[in-house]
Amino acid sequence: MNWPQLLITVATIGSIFGVVTLALNLQYARGGMINFGIVAYFAVGAYTYAIFTQPSPKGLDQYAFGLDWPWWAGVLAAGTAALAFAALTGWPTLRLRGEYLALTTFAFAEVFHSFLLNERRIGNGTVGLSNVERPFGDWGPIEEKYVFAAVAALLLLATLLAFRQLLASPYGRALDAIRDDEVAAESSGKPAANMRRQVFLISAVPVGLAGAVYAMFTTLAQPSLFTAEVTFIVWIALVLGGERSVYGAMLGAFGLVFFEEVVRAWPFETVRSAQIAASVEHIFTGLLFIAVLRFQPFDRIQRRMKART
Amino acid sequence: MTEAQPAGVHTVDALLEVDGISKRFAGIQALGGDRGLTVDIGRGAFVGLIGPNGAGKSTMFNLLSGVLPADSGTVIFDGKDITTATSHERAEHGIGRTFQTPRTFESLTVLENVVVGATSPGEQLRSAFGRSWRRHEAGLVDHARDILGQVGLADREAEPVTDLSGGELRMLGVARQLIRRPTLLLLDEPTAGVHPLLQDRLAELLVELHSGGMTLVVVEHNLHFLLAIAEHILVLTQGRLLAQGPPADIRGDPAVISAYLGEDHAA
Ligand SMILES: Nc1ncnc2c1ncn2[C@@H]1O[C@H](COP(=O)(O)OP(=O)(O)O)[C@@H](O)[C@H]1O
Ligand SMILES: [Mg+2]
Repeated sequence: MNWPQLLITVATIGSIFGVVTLALNLQYARGGMINFGIVAYFAVGAYTYAIFTQPSPKGLDQYAFGLDWPWWAGVLAAGTAALAFAALTGWPTLRLRGEYLALTTFAFAEVFHSFLLNERRIGNGTVGLSNVERPFGDWGPIEEKYVFAAVAALLLLATLLAFRQLLASPYGRALDAIRDDEVAAESSGKPAANMRRQVFLISAVPVGLAGAVYAMFTTLAQPSLFTAEVTFIVWIALVLGGERSVYGAMLGAFGLVFFEEVVRAWPFETVRSAQIAASVEHIFTGLLFIAVLRFQPFDRIQRRMKART
Repeated sequence: MTEAQPAGVHTVDALLEVDGISKRFAGIQALGGDRGLTVDIGRGAFVGLIGPNGAGKSTMFNLLSGVLPADSGTVIFDGKDITTATSHERAEHGIGRTFQTPRTFESLTVLENVVVGATSPGEQLRSAFGRSWRRHEAGLVDHARDILGQVGLADREAEPVTDLSGGELRMLGVARQLIRRPTLLLLDEPTAGVHPLLQDRLAELLVELHSGGMTLVVVEHNLHFLLAIAEHILVLTQGRLLAQGPPADIRGDPAVISAYLGEDHAA
């Protein structure tokens, strides 16, 4: 078991998923919107990054677009594309609330996934885009993997600071009011639908950026990486970490990724035991999830801390 | 006095002109009768709105504040047609309201519940990321503290709203509207469950707001409270305007007594 390598992977992937969890936290815990299609915005970021930075197609490549732009242009494009995709999907869905919104966002993500599977010219079908190059390499004495971990952590930090600033402002207070009682908030001049749409749009941007970093890291944008499972993992991370706090949400993401990476990297003696471990992992995650929902330990801790101050 | 649809108070300057509004719930007419409700509220008026339970008073507030869409009719406020305006747009135009069942923001403290009533520059997405709203915020907090004092909640500002009693929540709802300085304030049963001492204070506050120029419409079952301070009374029964006039006239009106006062007083 190579612990340093494992921790670096957890730091990188955990930061990337942490960004997505933070976005979900903003949408759900503060905006009151259930997005069960969050993976689609992540995928849009990854694919956009790939398309903008990959070389133009040659040989057996079936994709039609490869712009060969520098990495930073690809990152900018990824954020913009996620924002545009949120505008496109938010327009018809945000009229809906609660479980209806959950179902439509889920359906949107499934449609998008099947589009990626079947559309060869844009995403190269099931094979995906595999000509993504890692932009950073070693920085002097700093190995590439550390550079990647730092980039991912930086994105997470920037997202955290931006969201915190937003939520600590009167804007965040108005959002809380809308989530608590929309009718009363409207009667105090808060444009509920408008603000919800804004939250939906701005939270998609870091998700798109995280998708870009994920594509750089894996050097791949492939439909199998962006299934509904990603959505569920992020939701579980959010609930595990306590949806009420941004730090809890991040902690949940790191905890879950750590757990998965340990199971993946564990030196099992036989293939059979590795299989068993993989299923036990799922069962364990499920049980943990149920336990957190049942006992709500984080909400309790928070309430106790609040009562003390 | 007793005709079913009087033309309304034709003051020189009507702040609110309601023309033929109506509302049905599941086919049952809750407000407006056959021809819709038509009434004017004069600028600076202090109007009491009374009527038995189910008369349509709260429904009228819901239509005026845009919480529910009207089935018919038009509403002109301050010279602007607001018939199709949303709830938050009407609030921005200067219509404030409280609810018969108090509504509060549970994740906010008592003080925040008042501050959030104001429209702060920091509520714009762009300025939320900056710092310029902070200056404005201090003023808002001071203002909110003043208002909390006026409604008897001065020493409760840091508490979660879940600690407040029903009457206190009601006062909190009033406070949240006051920080907006509305042109027209609609209060739905503001004294229900409120401590008698606080009721007196509220009466004083309303009189003070009225002399400051605010237009008030107050729904109240507590006629002792209302008839003493309101200048003009509207009587609503079964969604229709039964009578209107100064409190003295309403007290003596036989139709009002049998339709409304009789219900309370005879029982
Ligand atoms: N949201 C609603 N849905 C269905 N019926 C309603 C609703 N609001 C009010 N009503 C009905 O409309 C009528 C008028 O109610 P309301 O305006 O609350 O009367 P008041 O405030 O004068 O007591 C009542 O019969 C009530 O049951
Ligand atoms: Mg009522």
